[in-house]
Amino acid sequence: MSSVSSVVEITRTRSWRNVDAVTYGPLYFLADFNIETLARLVGNSVLPGTETRMALAAPVMVQLASGSPGPEWSAVVWSQPDSSIASFRRAVTYEEPDADRAIEETREYAASIGRFARGTRATFVPTWVLPPWHRGYGPLDFRPGLGIAHLLARMNLALSDALRDEPNVFVLDAARWIASVGPRAWSDKLWFATKSPFTAAVFEQAASDLAAAIAGLNGGARRLVILDLDDVLWGGIVGEVGWQGLNLGGHDPAGEAFADFQRALKGLTRRGIQLAIASRNDEAVALEAIDRHPEMALRRADFAGWKINWTDKAQNVVDLLAEIGLGAESAVFIDDSASERARVGSAVPGVLVPDWPGDPSKYREALASLRCFDVPFITREDRARSGMYAAERTRRTSLSAAGDLQAWLESLDVVVTVESLTSATLDRATQLFNKTNQMNLATRRLANTELMAWAAADDHSVLTFRVADRFGDSGLTGLVGLEFEGPRARLVDFVLSCRVMGRNVEETLLHVAAAHARVRGAAELVAEFRPTSRNAPCLEFFRRSGFRAESDGRFVWGLSTRYERPPWVTVRDHSDVTRAGNPA
Amino acid sequence: MDRDQALRLVYDAIDVVNHQLPASRRLAKSLDTVIVGPYGSLDSLGLINFVITLEERVTDALTVPVELLDSTALIEEESPFRTVDTLTRFLETLDGPTAEDAEDAEVQP
Repeated sequence: MSSVSSVVEITRTRSWRNVDAVTYGPLYFLADFNIETLARLVGNSVLPGTETRMALAAPVMVQLASGSPGPEWSAVVWSQPDSSIASFRRAVTYEEPDADRAIEETREYAASIGRFARGTRATFVPTWVLPPWHRGYGPLDFRPGLGIAHLLARMNLALSDALRDEPNVFVLDAARWIASVGPRAWSDKLWFATKSPFTAAVFEQAASDLAAAIAGLNGGARRLVILDLDDVLWGGIVGEVGWQGLNLGGHDPAGEAFADFQRALKGLTRRGIQLAIASRNDEAVALEAIDRHPEMALRRADFAGWKINWTDKAQNVVDLLAEIGLGAESAVFIDDSASERARVGSAVPGVLVPDWPGDPSKYREALASLRCFDVPFITREDRARSGMYAAERTRRTSLSAAGDLQAWLESLDVVVTVESLTSATLDRATQLFNKTNQMNLATRRLANTELMAWAAADDHSVLTFRVADRFGDSGLTGLVGLEFEGPRARLVDFVLSCRVMGRNVEETLLHVAAAHARVRGAAELVAEFRPTSRNAPCLEFFRRSGFRAESDGRFVWGLSTRYERPPWVTVRDHSDVTRAGNPA
Repeated sequence: MDRDQALRLVYDAIDVVNHQLPASRRLAKSLDTVIVGPYGSLDSLGLINFVITLEERVTDALTVPVELLDSTALIEEESPFRTVDTLTRFLETLDGPTAEDAEDAEVQP
């Protein structure tokens, strides 16, 4: 059990807003208005140190045609609808609208963005908005074929639909920024003085969403919410009033607020975010409430783990992270007690500990405002992750009961399915690539377009691995990347989710990588470990893997010898990467 | 407007504009901080953002429209925007709605 004093490494405690911009790349701004305030907020506050650059003043279509400064740049393309779409400009001055022409122009605009975006790391496109005081045709403004609001809504949907297949383009909801700020969102005075239609408050919302999106693209999204119980998931102290006395649901405003908060948390699990409990309580009493209270939206199966005891809460958080296999930077800690929050915040660096409102009616909003869960895509594994953690708990229980590790491993009926990287698996593979820290040989970080481009090179291979056993399917949880240089195959990437570590899947990945390298004509397989603060487990694995250690961090396997797979692991090779005369 | 309220509004506007500045150029929340002038940290965009932000907050506080963005006032030698102190003193002189304003509001058709 890790102790709080030795937890993880000393990391710079940071809010999600002040993320390390060095790894996130520069940001290029294209707009038909003065967007300098947004660039300053990004470079000086939300992503401090980020290099920013403004496109030269010109119509946005011209800026797009001029291309990106380079593939390492991300971009923001923000235009006003009446500047970019001529048909809309006529409609907004009450000429008879030509909706079909406006949609056609929108698709042309989207095509320009798509072409531009292929030269960027990621491109962010805020939706079109009009000033809140623009009432258009009043009660007719949402009438199809007439209303300006209706036409703008169709244009925004057409923009989003046309960009759907551009994997590195993200359409951001600018209307929500405007609504968040309210009447002070728009300033004609600011427009006439600076050619910026939005006030600083709108740009702050935009900057926060941009930072969250960029952090998510780089694997920085939080994946675990650790919750207190009393006065967080329900009103009251369960140890004092029993589960029947808790304020949850019913017709009480606070009770309804707690129930609503639980439903919001449940919603997070459908996005792949895990829940856990760290509570000072009697475990049996607390679990009885979770199991039996009729208004509980969250049940045991919704939690990846729990520490319900009278131990120091910071220690419980550390133990939960170790048990679930996530780092502090993946976690959010929510507690109604300011002293507990302060304790965890100071003792477990990296955990996000937001200030928490005292009024439960504000809990749902507080959760939604965190912005730390943003990811560039949702995968099948994300939606199934709660079930996977429940299966993992069952595995651990069976291991405890089995006693003999070897017998237990043999009883698992592990099946590893390997295939080459495809467009269907790209999103999940990229997510795994960017989120995995512990079992990660090189800890490269690539956007999905970059990973696919790397895999497509003639002298590269990227293989993905799905892992299942008798307790359930863990999904796509492994990846190797190989580079072939004459007789040498280089194991560039070796990535394995901590959820499947310790079941001989690691050895199976090496078995497949070696077999594939032999098929490709290599005589040796070389792995070069690049240390980070988190991937020591990967070095330890390679040291005991049987590979020859030529130096600390360089490991070699001569391919004249087969690297045997564990006999109790079944390998299904869907892409024939290990065959062609060299059966696995 | 009393001095404490005026000072708080000025500091609120400083907080907003400081988010747009690199750490080394952020305005200190003190009375002698220069806003406009040879030693000021704000460029034209920063100054306009500051003034409009302050204008909105003062308008909300006094519940009457307030115009602060006056290019003449910004550049004159004795500009109220010279320092935090001079700006706070200027805001103290601003009043909320008068009895006359209330009467005007009542007689609206």
